[in-house]
Amino acid sequence: MSELKPTNRKAELLLEAVAEGHAAEVYAMDTVAGCATTFDPGWEVDPFGGVASLCQPMEADLYGCSDPCWWPAQVPDTMNTYPDWDAGKPSAQNDWRELDAVFPKK
Amino acid sequence: MVRPSRIAALLLAAALAGGVTAAAAGDLILTGAKPDRLFVIDAASRSVKSEFRIAGANGQVGTIVPSPDGRIAYVLVNRMESIVGIDLADGHAMFRADLSTPGERVKALFAFTVTPDGKELIAYEVPTKLLPSEYQVEEPRFAVFKTSGGLKAKAVRQYPAQRRLHMLLMRPSGKSFYALGFDLYEYDVQTGKLLGTRGIQKWQLPAHSQPDLLAFWPVTEPSGVFTSPLYSEAQQGAAAAPMTALMSLDVASGALDYRDFEPLSALIFSTVLSPDRKTAYGVYSTLTKVDVEGRKLAARVPLDHTFYSVNVASDGQEIYIGGAMCDVGFYDAASLEKRAMLKLPGCADQSVASLRVIRTH
Repeated sequence: MSELKPTNRKAELLLEAVAEGHAAEVYAMDTVAGCATTFDPGWEVDPFGGVASLCQPMEADLYGCSDPCWWPAQVPDTMNTYPDWDAGKPSAQNDWRELDAVFPKK
Repeated sequence: MVRPSRIAALLLAAALAGGVTAAAAGDLILTGAKPDRLFVIDAASRSVKSEFRIAGANGQVGTIVPSPDGRIAYVLVNRMESIVGIDLADGHAMFRADLSTPGERVKALFAFTVTPDGKELIAYEVPTKLLPSEYQVEEPRFAVFKTSGGLKAKAVRQYPAQRRLHMLLMRPSGKSFYALGFDLYEYDVQTGKLLGTRGIQKWQLPAHSQPDLLAFWPVTEPSGVFTSPLYSEAQQGAAAAPMTALMSLDVASGALDYRDFEPLSALIFSTVLSPDRKTAYGVYSTLTKVDVEGRKLAARVPLDHTFYSVNVASDGQEIYIGGAMCDVGFYDAASLEKRAMLKLPGCADQSVASLRVIRTH
């Protein structure tokens, strides 16, 4: 932590809380298959550094990624945040034109 | 003119190419599809025997665990927040456990199992308190339900669980179950006592890195053994080479085995072990055949597209593949030749749904 400098008031408060022993332990959201806990490179790059071993076609893997929130930065998370993203579109290969981009709720 | 023997040969060839095979007679394949479908497929005729709608599936059908008597399919639905028991005779829901409650969101991340007597269902629960200004991550737990609990089943027991689990596998004794996550844990069914921890990330393999696996498909029915592809780096001289291995867990004896079978050359998502335990099959964008005793790759053929899940006929003669898109494939176990493809009605994606086999003979 000594190498990190707070850049705003909230960060300063966090450092104070840590110093005083008031900060709660930080838990990762559970499981390797849950939102924001998966850091696999893979949606764009396969384990060999290419694209040949990505799912073929990508539509085969689309709902397999949105359902368990596998890559929430690349594929909308239908587990929690955008549960209706695939509503009425049960086939990624046939319905992909109907799948919209998503934006954070204000 | 075509001689009778020639006609017989042609008929046999036609049957092998895509028609009925006596070998798979009696096998029923279970799979799910969006938004709420449970399919029962007759393997021998390559046809959908039943198509059931699961009320309240909320767009997602995931892990499927058949009851030990093969009469009920327990299915994880509703964004992993509900488990529903579907009577396979007529499709009616005879069990439902909604895990979340107001203020607490509970996900059973792929993982639940059923006791050998069919009377209890154990779910891995990941709870999060939804507070007005924050989400509070709670400790994960196991929740035990009576399968006779009806459509508003409530947990009769709860006990603490390890974090980061993604599969539960019941042992045939019914006294304990395995929980697979970063390591392999065993818990007492009644008390929830942690009985042991082995493998996976803590596996001490000579000249190997920490192994890694992805295992969401709880298939043990062909052999009584759960298998999964496992990846690690093997030290070879000064260099490290990525290796593909097969992890196997005999749920009856508890024997846990790791064996490399090829330098990493193709990805495999899930595997299944043949009933004679000599051959394993894996799927992803290829279908892989592994000589288990010889510890080597036996064969590999390309698939039409990526499949997630694989199973094998109860006689070991045919491989079933599914998951991801909307078709279920039938492949010859010896030659890996494609025998048939069954497109599911409506062509809805199976996504991460399990592909399970129940026997009716």
